[in-house]
Amino acid sequence: MASPKTVPKDAQVMMQILKDMGITEYEPRVINQMLEFTYRYITTIIEDAKIYSTHAKKSTVDADDIRLAIQCRVDQSFISPPPRDFLLDIARQKNQTPLPLIKPYTGPRLPPDRYCLTAPNYRLKSLQKKVSSSAGRITVPRLSVGAVSSRPSTPTLGTPSVQTVGTKVGTPVSLTGQRFTVQIPSSQAASVKSGHEYCLKSHGNLFGKMCTNPAATPTTPTVQNVLINPSLIGSKNILITTNMVSQNSSGDSTSLKRKHEDEDDYDAL
Amino acid sequence: MAAVQDGPMELDTEKETKPEILSDGTSKLSGNAASGTLSSSPLTAGGAPKQEDQQTLIAVLQFLRRNKLSESVEILRREAGLEDQEDSQTLDGSGGGKGDRDGGEANSLLSRVSITSAAAPQIILSTSVTNEQLDVSVVLSAYSQQGDPSLYQVYYSGLKNFIESVLDCHRAELSQLFYPLFVHMYLELVYNNHENEAKAFFEKFGGDQECYYQDDLRVLCGLTKKEHLKGNEVLLDFRTSRFVLRISRDSYQLLKRHLQERHNNQIWNIIQEHLYIDIFDGMPRSKSQIDSMSGSFAGEARREVNKVKVFHGLLKEPEIEVPLDDEEDEAENEEGKPKKKKTKKDSMGSKSKKQDPNAPQQNRIPLPELKDSDKLDKIMYMKESTKRIRLGPENLPSICFYSFLNAYQGLTAVDFTDDSSLLAGGFADSTVRIWSVTPKKLRKVKSAGELNLIDKESDDVLERIMDEKTASESKILCGHSGPVYSVSFSPDRNYLLSSSEDGTVRLWSLQTFTCLVGYKGHNYPVWDTHFSPFGYYFVSGGHDRVARLWATDHYQPLRIFAGHLADVTCTRFHPNSNYVATGSTDRTIRLWDVLNGNCVRIFTGHKGPVHSLAFSPNGKFLASGSTDGRVLLWDIGHGLMIGELKGHTDTIYALKFSRDGEILASGSMDNTVRLWDSTKAFDDVETDDFTAATGHIHLPDNSQELLLGTYHSKSTPVTHLHFTRRNLLLAAGGYSSQ
Repeated sequence: MASPKTVPKDAQVMMQILKDMGITEYEPRVINQMLEFTYRYITTIIEDAKIYSTHAKKSTVDADDIRLAIQCRVDQSFISPPPRDFLLDIARQKNQTPLPLIKPYTGPRLPPDRYCLTAPNYRLKSLQKKVSSSAGRITVPRLSVGAVSSRPSTPTLGTPSVQTVGTKVGTPVSLTGQRFTVQIPSSQAASVKSGHEYCLKSHGNLFGKMCTNPAATPTTPTVQNVLINPSLIGSKNILITTNMVSQNSSGDSTSLKRKHEDEDDYDAL
Repeated sequence: MAAVQDGPMELDTEKETKPEILSDGTSKLSGNAASGTLSSSPLTAGGAPKQEDQQTLIAVLQFLRRNKLSESVEILRREAGLEDQEDSQTLDGSGGGKGDRDGGEANSLLSRVSITSAAAPQIILSTSVTNEQLDVSVVLSAYSQQGDPSLYQVYYSGLKNFIESVLDCHRAELSQLFYPLFVHMYLELVYNNHENEAKAFFEKFGGDQECYYQDDLRVLCGLTKKEHLKGNEVLLDFRTSRFVLRISRDSYQLLKRHLQERHNNQIWNIIQEHLYIDIFDGMPRSKSQIDSMSGSFAGEARREVNKVKVFHGLLKEPEIEVPLDDEEDEAENEEGKPKKKKTKKDSMGSKSKKQDPNAPQQNRIPLPELKDSDKLDKIMYMKESTKRIRLGPENLPSICFYSFLNAYQGLTAVDFTDDSSLLAGGFADSTVRIWSVTPKKLRKVKSAGELNLIDKESDDVLERIMDEKTASESKILCGHSGPVYSVSFSPDRNYLLSSSEDGTVRLWSLQTFTCLVGYKGHNYPVWDTHFSPFGYYFVSGGHDRVARLWATDHYQPLRIFAGHLADVTCTRFHPNSNYVATGSTDRTIRLWDVLNGNCVRIFTGHKGPVHSLAFSPNGKFLASGSTDGRVLLWDIGHGLMIGELKGHTDTIYALKFSRDGEILASGSMDNTVRLWDSTKAFDDVETDDFTAATGHIHLPDNSQELLLGTYHSKSTPVTHLHFTRRNLLLAAGGYSSQ
């Protein structure tokens, strides 16, 4: 501790206060902290009091203003626990209800999910569009808005049922849904594939995500090259993409998990 | 003097309903003061001129009485009495019921100067409706009565002289009065804005008080203005709750006679209003007995509080079949095994088929049923307890100390699991760290995708669900936003609770090492939390002066235990999970019933905040440690203090009984662990017969005999103690280099 003659008067006063309150052992930084706190508190109170006195159109700040300032600050910053009679009251109410019976065999006993912290606190938005070389074709990946169409490998496409796709294209959501039901059947795969119209929102919300297109086989792409969905024409621009070739590899795990997120994230048209 | 004697009689009858606004002294001084209070009371504005007339009348009466002109007194009184009644009736009209009492007072107590009758309405409010009104201002108005401020010193020293002149046997008991009277008189002076008199009063008599009150007095001397009182919750509680004193009937009679003989009954007023004198018939207590029980904020506990029946027995252990394939003991004794195991189980479990009269019913509170894993745990427990070392004065336990290095004084809480396999530490940087004490590492459970792939029918499925990639010696749990003040493992080792300065209690899973739930209820720092010995319930206590009982599947508390006058610093469950003990900064320990939330025991005697509690394994006794360095032992059934263990020189933060209750270990900030002989401490008591009526035991000063050993650590205060199932003592603390 600095020798008394070099210690400023305020610090000496603070040391005396600590001594009076019976505190004998403390780190030297405590004095600085206390002084800082005192300074901050007093300036806040005086500033508030100045505001109140100007509001009351007084020329000087007087004791009433200070008193009011203190009262307001106390309610804000130094909140003390509720008074005892209030606590006794609520305790009486709470203790009247009997203890709830415990249901047997319910696994981990936790409150309803709303009150737990067990929900995932993240949501995935962007998904990589993967390009595979299995097709051996030149794929022109296009940016597009749309849901992931991850799909396991199903090589064949039977009849490209374009027309069915056409009807479904208008509703992206259903498209999505459709995609995910596609696991194996090729016809659906085809529809999925063909249904790759993508819309671009005109107002600049571009490229909500990249999409992968679980393509079918190389054989099919010729079918769906260009599709213009009349329903999409409107105020929006349309970007049509073609022949997505897909990978299958990463499709599996993502398809299992991403269902809900994709529906959410699919930017509505 | 007949006139004077009338007063006290009516006092007695009216004391429950009316306040005593008696005060002596000259009218002039108090008149000024009264006018100060008058301005605040709307009722009295109209009555001011009448008051002055009344005062002169009364002054004349006093003069006549002093000169023993009793006939004149009667005449004047009769005539003045009429006037007074009229006054009171007018007040009646204006103030409703308040004036009525005022008039009644004036009539019956004419011999006294009721100077502040103007302030009476406020007083009546306070005493009659303290229960209903929750307003702080009403509580504060409890001090609106006043005598002449300059005479307070006279009253106090008068009482002091009287008590010193009394017989020795009564003196100790009556000296209990000093402290509460001093505080209340001081607060009265402060409340009524007599700052200088208050300071003078404090200086003159503050030093006389007992040493264990000095800390409180230091806080008190900092309060010199009425505004200071407003924010101080502790003082408000002190004033609304009545300070309890236990005085024998003889001493009480002496006191009463003395106070009623004198004119200045300010002291009597205070006694009536703020003190509760619990009178008992019997021998007056000695100074040492009184000292041992006093020290708390609200005096001692009333006798009827501690008379409620407490079921302190243990619940019956469930019958469990111990498996036969135990290769460790008597492998060759094939046919004898089942029988032997059964008898072993019986001897360890309940003693007999009969219900222990002190034990609660099995279904008194709902408890979770035993799962298969719990049954396996119990079997392990029984196996371990066969290998338990029996401790005693000749057979002290070995102590293994876990020092937390590089904690930089940030270690604030430690807990061990019951089987001593995991150790958790709560830190001031708001993290909780878990270590594995055994060589087995900590692993997380695999993610959902991987769990699908494992073979569920395999024998070692419990190992397969663990992800080897996450194996590590320790895990860090982040989530709190303030220092973690307490950690508690669940008995089945699945969950960990932690309570923190941010006001929440968090439940962590020890399978995934993530946070599951945050229980919000206390909005202030939570100082302690403890899981029930059967799991599912837990209790937490904090700065808001209540303890709450929670269940893991309810997001709101099930019970609120309110009653302490200051923060609840320590909470523990009784081994039968039906009672919760809480220790508090108000130096008392309360025992609460989980079933209905009632306080069934109040134990006073500590001279500092209580920081640690431990129940004995048989459930009958409670040990408590506090900042005054003493460990006190309590008998729960009778509600009495039965032992005092002196030796530590600093706060005791850790207390634990050995597994069979023979040894009590205490750890404190003075870097020592001390072992005490608890069988001897409890045996001595059981042979004595309690004086059931008074409940006062003479405590033998045998701390030295009971101390079995003191073990110093280099410079590590002891934060936690734990006896393993085989009675090895584990201690934990954070190494601090200064």
